[in-house]
Amino acid sequence: MNDLTIAVFAPLIMALLCFVFKRAAKWLALLVSLGIFTLAIKIFLAGQLVSQFLSLRAYPFSAGIFLAAAFFTLLITLYSFKYMEGKERLGEYYAYILITLGSAAGALFAADFLNLLFFWGMMGIPLYMLIGIGSSAGAGAAKKTLILVGGADAMMIMGIGIVWVMTRSLQIGPSPLPLNNVYSIVAFLALAAGAFAKAGVMPFHSWIPDSAEFAPASVMALLPASLDKLLGIYLFSRICFDVFQIVPNSPVSLFLLACGSITIIAAVMGALVQHDLKKLLSFHAVSQVGYMVLGIGTGTPLGVAGGIFHMFNHAIYKSCLFLCGGAVEQKAGTTDLEKLGGLAKFMPITFTAFLIAALSISGVPPFNGFISKWMIYQAIVQLGKISPYWIIWLVAAMFGSAFTLASFVKLTHAVFLGQWSETTGKTREVSWMMWLPLAVLAALCVVFGLLAAQIPLKYLVFPNIQFYRFTGVWEPGMATLLLLSGLLLGLLIYALGRVKKVTVKPAFTGGELLKEEEIKVTGNEFYDSIKSWGPLNLIYKTAEKKYFDVYELGRQAAFAVAGWLSWLHNGLLQTYLVWLLMGLVVLLLFLAR
Amino acid sequence: MFDLLRLMFAFIIMPGFLFTAVVGLLATWVDRKVTARVQYRQGPPWFQPFADLAKLLGKETIVPEGAAKAVFLGAPLIGLAGATLVSTIIWMVNFSHGVTFIGDLIVVLYLLTLPSLAIIFGGSASRNPLSAIGASREMKLILAYELPFILAVFTVVLRTGSIMFGNILGYQLANGMMIQSCSGLIAFLVALIVVQAKLGVVPFDIPEAEQEIAAGALLEYSGPALAVYKLSRAMMYFILPVLLITLFMGGIDLSFWGGIAWFIIKYVIILTLIILIKNTNPRLRTDQAVRFFWGPVTALAAIGFILAMVGW
Repeated sequence: MNDLTIAVFAPLIMALLCFVFKRAAKWLALLVSLGIFTLAIKIFLAGQLVSQFLSLRAYPFSAGIFLAAAFFTLLITLYSFKYMEGKERLGEYYAYILITLGSAAGALFAADFLNLLFFWGMMGIPLYMLIGIGSSAGAGAAKKTLILVGGADAMMIMGIGIVWVMTRSLQIGPSPLPLNNVYSIVAFLALAAGAFAKAGVMPFHSWIPDSAEFAPASVMALLPASLDKLLGIYLFSRICFDVFQIVPNSPVSLFLLACGSITIIAAVMGALVQHDLKKLLSFHAVSQVGYMVLGIGTGTPLGVAGGIFHMFNHAIYKSCLFLCGGAVEQKAGTTDLEKLGGLAKFMPITFTAFLIAALSISGVPPFNGFISKWMIYQAIVQLGKISPYWIIWLVAAMFGSAFTLASFVKLTHAVFLGQWSETTGKTREVSWMMWLPLAVLAALCVVFGLLAAQIPLKYLVFPNIQFYRFTGVWEPGMATLLLLSGLLLGLLIYALGRVKKVTVKPAFTGGELLKEEEIKVTGNEFYDSIKSWGPLNLIYKTAEKKYFDVYELGRQAAFAVAGWLSWLHNGLLQTYLVWLLMGLVVLLLFLAR
Repeated sequence: MFDLLRLMFAFIIMPGFLFTAVVGLLATWVDRKVTARVQYRQGPPWFQPFADLAKLLGKETIVPEGAAKAVFLGAPLIGLAGATLVSTIIWMVNFSHGVTFIGDLIVVLYLLTLPSLAIIFGGSASRNPLSAIGASREMKLILAYELPFILAVFTVVLRTGSIMFGNILGYQLANGMMIQSCSGLIAFLVALIVVQAKLGVVPFDIPEAEQEIAAGALLEYSGPALAVYKLSRAMMYFILPVLLITLFMGGIDLSFWGGIAWFIIKYVIILTLIILIKNTNPRLRTDQAVRFFWGPVTALAAIGFILAMVGW
């Protein structure tokens, strides 16, 4: 048995055991994910591995992503111990997590398209089951997910078919096809659709916000936030550079840049107006993919490096945010922003982790999200030397980053700062099994930010990109040192003053004695004056009618066609006779021609 | 070790914290004095900002009941650290054009949000409804001015072809100041309006709006914490004009007396413009500010960018 085959089949076989031994399922899942994580380290250190059985192949890029995938699975399994405690169908829950891990390994290590397609499709099943596992109300969202992701997989089959016709080979790579004719462009778009649906790029994004309402936070953290993102962007970069070849400033590159920009802006606008913690986070899970597509779509080494680095960073902070959301949900019993507030005092660890992850996703230096965004911006500015459209992508990316900050300001205020609500008075910090994963992920945000060039870029990103050079300069270590000395300076000023003598007084509300519930600012109305701005208002109104949702549009089209057909079949003999006669006339005209 | 000492000296004394703070406080005095004279008042003596600060240090610190104390007291420090770091970076690249110090233009743009973030999180943590409204207004203001600011700043990048301060300054040394060109002038005007908003002075003092929300995010602050806020605000009075000078007016050369005089003239021009706008305009409502920035100002910035593409 080869390491690769073990990585693929051990979780799948153990998953079957989880179905049977429901009580022991969580321990089994923890052991297996721990084992697979150590195996992933071994594969990653080996670098290149080939397994003849099933033609699996590992190389630094896929091994790095598998390492990340196994790491997230391990943390989230640990988190689930307490988070899922007392829920029903636990055996299934852990089994599906293991199936996800096994099929992810298969998809990552697949050396040919058939293997890839098999494991890729297989990942859809646990996704469907896990979204619906939380509540019976989630069935609709799970169905939508299955149809969108499955439909995109069907498009992938078409793309693979075209590639087979063109090359007579099902190997992924090794000689990239140029994107200069209609067939290869159609094949590229069909394959990209599969990757986009998994990662959640517009227009295939709408399953993520819908499932966020019903799925458990741990499922959101495992699938849409980390594993699906990793796999989707992995496949996307494979088809961009191994199967096909993206040339900077080519029509396909421009199309991808446009896709990325629209995804960033539209999804972040959607996030800004959400009233639910998990749903708001899920819109950001869509918006952030835009940056990855933007980076990879530039086709330049720096942009690709930035896009891939952003993928790792996003998986870290977004799963951290979802896990924080789960912790809040467990303690406060709700994720409605209206009913939350002031949790920072009661859940300090969760709050700190959330704040770090929120600052990371908003691109505040010196955290990790800033560096990958900064690399992508540089790549776009570089693009300016050959293309006049760069400013559009740049404005979309940077302005989208400001909107991200805005929605996380709203979230931090509504959940952790701001005024208390009835639910928050008696909360306490979650158990260590839940806060440990959060803390580890938040620490990674800091480490990846401060030591970007020393650790993640060197080991995870650089081996896969030929050569790239920064056009700007950013020294996170020195900057952090100086920021910390700035904090010390401030503390010195505090020490000069009388900050030790702190008096606690009720908040000042104009001298009136008001009840807190009556004057609570929840954060939901933070951006109403922006929302009411003419053009934006129009866009929000259109979005509410679901005109931007491919699934909804497809459903309406399908119902329209079906409605027409059922209108034809009205059961009256006369109608059928008229149709028969008309058909006969057409036939005769055709024959007598 | 020696390098570290020099770095710390640069950060804490010159050109970092102490220098920026002193000049910034003096600038706020100029602002107050001119404003007073415009309103037929006498105005404060030159040391008034320093005296205010000393007074605040002696006052007691009051924390609102049930507020997140660590965030409430920590937020002002983050603003101060961010302002000091930006100041150090901009001055260091001006001292020697070839040097790369910590960050480029994009880094500075992002670091500049730290003082605003400090106000937002401080206000949000103080558990006061008016402070929360102030925090949300600050964020809305950021959203409003960010769009034209990106366009204005990247007009400079388009013309100079680099995001490194050294290259931006080198380009201006060779080809004249940015504002001497048509697009550069437009971008400068846009950036000046944005600086007005970043400083939070009239007509963009929306987040504080004393008459409406009683100083907004700063409402609950007192004593040393308020002093730190005031100090970082004063530092921004110096840092932001210096950033404008670096990007649009050819930077600073302090190696000879003429250079120092030239820098002071440039700084005074920008400060005068800021005070002029402040004293001749009423405060905008939030939605008016958003419409103003996303409408005419962005259009102006876009025109400037297109002119730069054509090469004007």
